[in-house]
Amino acid sequence: MSSPMLEIKNLKKVYGTGKDAKVAVDDLSLTVERGAFFGLLGPNGAGKSTTIHCITGIAQPTEGQIFIDGVDVVKDYKTARRKVGLSPQEFNIDFFAKVDDLLDYMGGYYGIPRAERKTRIDELISRFSLEEHRDKKFQKLSGGLKRRAILARALVHTPDLLILDEPTAGVDVEQRHELWDYLRELNSRGKTIILTSHYLEEIQELCNEIAIINHGKIIKEGTKAEFMRDGKSVEQTYLEITRNDDKKA
Amino acid sequence: MNAIGLFTMLRREAKRTLRVVVQTLIAPTVSAALYLFIFGTVIGTKIEDFAGVPYISFVFPGVLMLSIINASFASASSNLYFMRFTRGIEEILIAPFSYLEMLVGFVGSAVVRALMVSVLILLTGLAFGAVSLVNPVAFFLYVAAVAAIFAMLGIIVALWAEGFEQLQVLNTFVITPLTYLGGIFYSITFLPPLAAEITRANPFFYFADGIRSSMIGYSEANTAIGLIVIVGLLVGLAILVTTLFRKGWKIRA
Repeated sequence: MSSPMLEIKNLKKVYGTGKDAKVAVDDLSLTVERGAFFGLLGPNGAGKSTTIHCITGIAQPTEGQIFIDGVDVVKDYKTARRKVGLSPQEFNIDFFAKVDDLLDYMGGYYGIPRAERKTRIDELISRFSLEEHRDKKFQKLSGGLKRRAILARALVHTPDLLILDEPTAGVDVEQRHELWDYLRELNSRGKTIILTSHYLEEIQELCNEIAIINHGKIIKEGTKAEFMRDGKSVEQTYLEITRNDDKKA
Repeated sequence: MNAIGLFTMLRREAKRTLRVVVQTLIAPTVSAALYLFIFGTVIGTKIEDFAGVPYISFVFPGVLMLSIINASFASASSNLYFMRFTRGIEEILIAPFSYLEMLVGFVGSAVVRALMVSVLILLTGLAFGAVSLVNPVAFFLYVAAVAAIFAMLGIIVALWAEGFEQLQVLNTFVITPLTYLGGIFYSITFLPPLAAEITRANPFFYFADGIRSSMIGYSEANTAIGLIVIVGLLVGLAILVTTLFRKGWKIRA
């Protein structure tokens, strides 16, 4: 039997030490099956980005284990990192570099040979309609184009698992729908996608599995159908669950 | 080993160097030309040959070393600090680089810039008739070693700094004074005995002496001590920087 695409076991992440210690993620366990389109919801500061950072290597887990396609992200981090692509919430990029160069560098970092890299970059530039912008500096792009460039960068090494942290923030409605179409296409071709978004209609539109994080813990996990039971929208269910959880806290 | 990834890091820094060519390549070349003109041509012609070579040839290795140190330190510190500032460092953190590869990538990138500057200054030195090279292999090794040492110091400062101003602290208060007091413009035989002994305790003296001996064949330092100092610093700093990368100090949450 093949392993899940992502398996998180009892993840704990504490920032700081002593009196300043802050628990961002607390005993979080989660499984994302291969081929899933997984929505990760939660209020600001709930622990979504921290979880993503622990998966991708931007943060070090304090406790627990994370496996990507069965590979431990701490013990065998080099293999694990080749399997993940990240489109982060905040632009973590050299703003003065050209779009073409940004993709080229990222492909190079992942060890893709030059000829293969060039072909791959041309495909992505075409797929995200960045042809006339490929020689522009990143800082000169509009918000929507920046998001597209970041997404292209996340895909340059054809990862098995794509993590999208607020990928449509600042993107206009038309471009958002274009992006949705592309993400559906990627998912239909077998790519596992984890999506966080404050636009809950986006989660409802795209995801088939959903989990809610609050105060660093998973408080609800299920299929989209379970989240939309009794004619409720994902947003209604989300609000109901998080408000109840906040009252308990 | 992620060879393509490492080559990409070097390529990126070379491109970044050329993106700000006035600051990174032209300014140090102009400074070196001024040093050579003043100390070599204006003052040097009034001074008798020293150690069998014209004063300009005696001074040139020091001028070259000064430029290598500045280029390497500035490249490593500004590159990494800028990546921390823009969070571009996350591109490296999520990529399949080991901690040792991160060290090699960042140090190699700075050495690439230092070598680019070195070539321009050697060409400038040739124009002044100041260049001789008695041991090219030793010369290259000394240049690369000195560049690597200051690249690693640049990395440490880039990790420690919380603002652009702090990037200059080590350079202003430690590197520049020790460089100028390390005998780059003068022979320690010109100094009183106590000052000469103090100079022998300055590691920069051994850097300058190593480069000078490979260029003009004249040495004032104990070569064995010089090699111990240089190799010791290379190994010690490499262990420290790799440990900082492994711990993720200031770069990994």
